[in-house]
Amino acid sequence: MIRFSAAAKRYPGGLEALRGVTLEIADGEMVAITGHSGAGKSTLLKLAAGIESATSGTVLVQGQNLGALGESALAILRRRVGFVFQEHRLLFDRNAFENVALPLHISGFSRHEAARRVRAALDKVGLLGREKAMPVALSGGEQQRLCIARAIVNRPMMLIADEPTGNLDADYAGAIVDLFMSFHQVGVTVLLSTHDEASLGRLRCRRVTLAGGTMVEEGGA
Amino acid sequence: MRLLRLHLHALGAALERIAAQPVASLFSILVLGAAIALPVVAAVVLQSAMATGAGFDTEPHVSVYLSLDASAEDAKRVEQAIRGEPDVMAVTYVPRAQALAELQASTHLAEVLAALDTNPLPDAFTVRMRSTDPASLAKVRTAWAALPKVDQVAADFEWSERLARWARLGEHLVGGAGLLLAAAVVFIVAHLVRLQVLTRREEIEVSQLIGATSADVRRPFLYHGALQGLLAGALAVALAAAFAAWARHELLALTPNYAAELKVVFLRPAESALLVAATGLLGLLAAWGAVSHQLRRFARDR
Repeated sequence: MIRFSAAAKRYPGGLEALRGVTLEIADGEMVAITGHSGAGKSTLLKLAAGIESATSGTVLVQGQNLGALGESALAILRRRVGFVFQEHRLLFDRNAFENVALPLHISGFSRHEAARRVRAALDKVGLLGREKAMPVALSGGEQQRLCIARAIVNRPMMLIADEPTGNLDADYAGAIVDLFMSFHQVGVTVLLSTHDEASLGRLRCRRVTLAGGTMVEEGGA
Repeated sequence: MRLLRLHLHALGAALERIAAQPVASLFSILVLGAAIALPVVAAVVLQSAMATGAGFDTEPHVSVYLSLDASAEDAKRVEQAIRGEPDVMAVTYVPRAQALAELQASTHLAEVLAALDTNPLPDAFTVRMRSTDPASLAKVRTAWAALPKVDQVAADFEWSERLARWARLGEHLVGGAGLLLAAAVVFIVAHLVRLQVLTRREEIEVSQLIGATSADVRRPFLYHGALQGLLAGALAVALAAAFAAWARHELLALTPNYAAELKVVFLRPAESALLVAATGLLGLLAAWGAVSHQLRRFARDR
């Protein structure tokens, strides 16, 4: 379970990205965070993943108060969270296989087990056979799927995606949304942000709308 | 098992990084190896000089030589006079036959000495003194030279004392140069690792975002630094060994008659291993400092 209690985030320079958000996400639930640019969606996701820390309030993940965890404990928690970054954050000097294998190397998997898991993750996102392709040789949609493969390769308890359909055409965006729905159907907690109406229409899950860093609306699909 | 795999993976990554830039890696190891070799060569020279001079007595002593016609009674009287001096610490009588035997045994003049009809060496006393004060030494020297049947009094330990002082100075200079060059090794390795960290900033940041701890990030760089230190240390030992072999060969060729006295002393295997391990440790510490510093900067920039 993820629980935000009056969570707020103020960045150095004074920007208040999130103001007292209280929200609970149950295990295995799928939640879409919506809102315009600058609403605080990315900040909320980063707080849930332990990438950023709240300046006030608390964020609990699986009962652990992230604000009370040390740097190493937070890093270890992030291994159990698959994060799909808005800007992909792929390594352009590594091929598709090496990009997806990165979390497994960090976790200390054997080469054999890592290779097996990487192929399975690439298969899941439809990139099996493109292991040796460099990211620059992949389309925007393929890069996004490669990023998703890297996020799921460690079999995370929670999948967080920041605007996973941004900059994709409707067909690609639909395929990506379906992919997240399939992860949710096998019990993975999915938390994703989007402001793309077409994608939102496809998602059958709870929606939380943010505006100016506060929660303004919450409802079902 | 997991930790072992992480270390093996980090070692593999460090080797890949060295192999990925073979020319740059080779040059940096050559520079480091040459820097480390300099104090090692200096230490070899110093050790050799000290081993060569090990037979020289550096304690303050005065040699009292009797005339060739001095009898045992004369020698006893001289000994009593010497022992009467308060500054005297110990007196050793060296009969002329013993002196000849020692000379024959310790130099290349054995054949020449054997060819002599008579022993040309006198009976002598070696007197250990408590003081090295030149005035008091000059006083006893004059007094003993005036004794009957005393031919010569020599207080010639000053040069050996000077040699010992030079040796001590040499040790300090080699130690100081060693420390300076060790610092240079740390700075060079730290700089090389810093460049590696900067070129891999994206990889480091992504790794941290997906669960790498600072230790995970640091590990391959530590292996990289340690490997550079180890390879440079091994190269330095090889360079110094080559120098020692060359010097031994040249000394033999130049001074065959003194070959037994002139020694070239190289590091013992344990000392060589210690040196390589120490340079590896320096590389590791330098890498640790460089990576930690850069990680703090990256964290500040975020």
